[in-house]
Amino acid sequence: MIEEARHFTAELAVIGSGLAGFAASIFALNRNIKTAQIGNTGAIAYTTGYLDLLGSLAPDYAASIEDPWQGLELLRSSYPEHPLCRIPQTDIHTAFEQFTGFLGECGISYSSPGKTNARVLTPAGTLKPTLCMPATMQIGTTAFSRQEPCVIIDFKGLKGFSSSQIAANLKDQWPELRNTTIEFPDMSLGEIYPEVMARALEVPETREKLAKILVGAAGETKIIGLPAILGMHSPDLVRKEMEQLTGLEIFEIPTMPPSVPGIRLREMFEQLFPQKGITLIPQQKVDKLKIEQDGARLFLSDSFGPITVDAKSVILATGRFLSGGLEASIDGITEPLLNLPVTQPGSREEWYREKYTDRRGHEINKAGIEVDASFRPLDNNGAPYSNNLFAAGVILAHQDWIRGRCGAGVAIATAYKAVEEVEKYLS
Amino acid sequence: MAEPTIPTINFKEKAEELLPQGASFESCLTCGLCSSGCPASGIENMDPRKFIRMAMLGMDEELSSSKWIWACTQCKRCQHVCPMSIDISQLVFLARSNWPQEKKPAGIVRSCQLIQSTDSTSAMGLPPEDFVFVVNDVLEEVRELQPKFKNLEAPMDKKGAHFFVNQNSREPMSEPDEMVPLWKIFDIVGADWTYSSKAWAAENFCMFSGNEKAWFEVIRKRVDAVNKLGCEVWLNTECGHSYYTMWNGINRFGMEVDFKLESLVTYYARWIREGKLPVNSDWNRKNIKFTVQDPCMIVRKAYGDSIAEDMRFVTKALVGEENFIDMQPNRSANYCCGGGGGFLQAGMTEHRRTYGKRKFDQIAATGAAYVLTPCHNCHSQMEDIGHHYGGSYGVVHFWTLICLSLGVLGENERTYLGPDLLECI
Repeated sequence: MIEEARHFTAELAVIGSGLAGFAASIFALNRNIKTAQIGNTGAIAYTTGYLDLLGSLAPDYAASIEDPWQGLELLRSSYPEHPLCRIPQTDIHTAFEQFTGFLGECGISYSSPGKTNARVLTPAGTLKPTLCMPATMQIGTTAFSRQEPCVIIDFKGLKGFSSSQIAANLKDQWPELRNTTIEFPDMSLGEIYPEVMARALEVPETREKLAKILVGAAGETKIIGLPAILGMHSPDLVRKEMEQLTGLEIFEIPTMPPSVPGIRLREMFEQLFPQKGITLIPQQKVDKLKIEQDGARLFLSDSFGPITVDAKSVILATGRFLSGGLEASIDGITEPLLNLPVTQPGSREEWYREKYTDRRGHEINKAGIEVDASFRPLDNNGAPYSNNLFAAGVILAHQDWIRGRCGAGVAIATAYKAVEEVEKYLS
Repeated sequence: MAEPTIPTINFKEKAEELLPQGASFESCLTCGLCSSGCPASGIENMDPRKFIRMAMLGMDEELSSSKWIWACTQCKRCQHVCPMSIDISQLVFLARSNWPQEKKPAGIVRSCQLIQSTDSTSAMGLPPEDFVFVVNDVLEEVRELQPKFKNLEAPMDKKGAHFFVNQNSREPMSEPDEMVPLWKIFDIVGADWTYSSKAWAAENFCMFSGNEKAWFEVIRKRVDAVNKLGCEVWLNTECGHSYYTMWNGINRFGMEVDFKLESLVTYYARWIREGKLPVNSDWNRKNIKFTVQDPCMIVRKAYGDSIAEDMRFVTKALVGEENFIDMQPNRSANYCCGGGGGFLQAGMTEHRRTYGKRKFDQIAATGAAYVLTPCHNCHSQMEDIGHHYGGSYGVVHFWTLICLSLGVLGENERTYLGPDLLECI
């Protein structure tokens, strides 16, 4: 069969479709760098929607940090190798501003990065610190801090979100919190998913039906919390309309994955990036990457055949084990695309501590690749692998983003820095 | 005679053979993105994640006989959203092929038998001579009644024509006038094209019935027919699965062909860009709103987003940019309508409509008055669920709207237009 090979060119190729990859493309767009982004769907659909900068400090990750900016200062002395310590605070702030600003312009409003962390609700009914949150979730935080009466509502058939669990866990801290369970309109088939409910709420008729049920469930209470289901494509609009229909204040709480806030981001990026001129190939992994002095060539293929991308520079934002940026085997941890050296514990025995839930985390989670001050990955001799190769996100060594509650911080801030360096390189 | 039994498949073992390394069941994180994004979730108490978990647990008997495999349209959305890219549809195909013929949904089996029954490869069993007769009959009528098209042509078996054009059987069989707008488009752009009296038909339910041998036979007939006429391009018209079964079949069966497979949608876009098809949206004075349905078979499962962009370009040119509203989700992430995979022929109406509710909601959320789609199965399914769930939208072919915009849509070619569109003529 006669087929035409597909070929793209760009100034920058971003490899990875997680938070760091998407952030890098946004920053590149803001700097007018012609960008191609490639990478199999990352873990972005698993996010809560909260954008954490820094919530907890190594080595014991004990206390929750109220002021992440002060926390970064402390981190500088306690753990200077951490990627966030290599970036000026003003740049981190700008990175968060640009990222949340872009999301807002594209229809998913976020709170701006402030001076302190907010304490936000989790689906387990615990509280965690975060820097920025979707606008649909903000009322929950204020209602909690003001200790206002509130009802958390869950749905029959929805797993992984229990309003009674949330209310029980918060009972001592939020005495005015109640909970109830309702049925979602016209959804009868056993298990139901937040994604399906969110899409159904894009339909005005479903909103009207649900609004009536919510009014009954709220009783005298004026504030209600729902699992994150308020629309997929236009959450701010859906929330506003639901508030108008019910006369209540409504907020969302993230659910267990697969969560709507993550799918919202993914679908928004996938639709808007091509419109803004980015070549986006979000479903395919790069099979081979050839870096040369004056450019790079990426090889991949989709169901339709082979694709090549030529770029002057590359940002590696391939993530960790789940998305394939790092691979673990019996012999150790490797980086599969370029076989970059991976900083890691000396032997497998040192990967994990005795207890999985140990507060101090595990050594394997700090494994990753090394970069220089310009975020260029280092080779075995400790020199930059190439002048046109950069890295961003949680593939970087010396951070345990889960314990440190700094996943979005590492992704967004290092992507910002890497793109800044790409721009310098290109000019 | 004893009731035929369904043999048991060892799914875990088969998956290791079928699925590429790194996309095996073992890599499943059980996150549930597949099930959350699948309109067939819950039907027959099954969903994609459950399917994989049951296979991992060795529940092969239950899986081998699950009717859910006929409600899964093999649309591959589960794989599309899976971080590990696990392809469940291949296992569904395997399970379908494993069912004894007598147990499979009779409608799909019958459609495949009809395809094999004549040289037309038509799922409605229309033989070559009848096809030729209908085409000539309709052509004669158009030449007589529509003076603008007194020299219109519908070439048959023209050797060396550039395009070998396929035709969904629904038109020659039940609504022959619907062929005419396409002929007019070819006439206007000056395309060098031909029908073939053999293997002209588009549909291929043999793939859906899990009959690999028959699928191959159908594709072989079609490849032979194109080669015999020496055409450069096999042009797939507004039908989704015909493209996929041909393109995928040629690769799957390792067939050697020296022509290109192309989709009409990309040519619509090209001809509009080149000015050969001078459409505009001036006719849409009332700002009637349109949305587009991306057929899985040509978008997610084949071309990817590039053809989806072409569809949007064509639609905006036809109806005006401000009158186009995208469905959510869309392009490669779009939901299957529920008419694919032979579902429309399977006789499982209630399940099919349950599946289609997601599509109905998507359309309803746009508020559009019409859905445009280049796929007959999508077309039929969206009409059906529209009626069933009380929707007020219509479904139209691209060729209809193109001819409407060009002011050449004949009176008998307006079946799918509602009063609002009829007023615009």
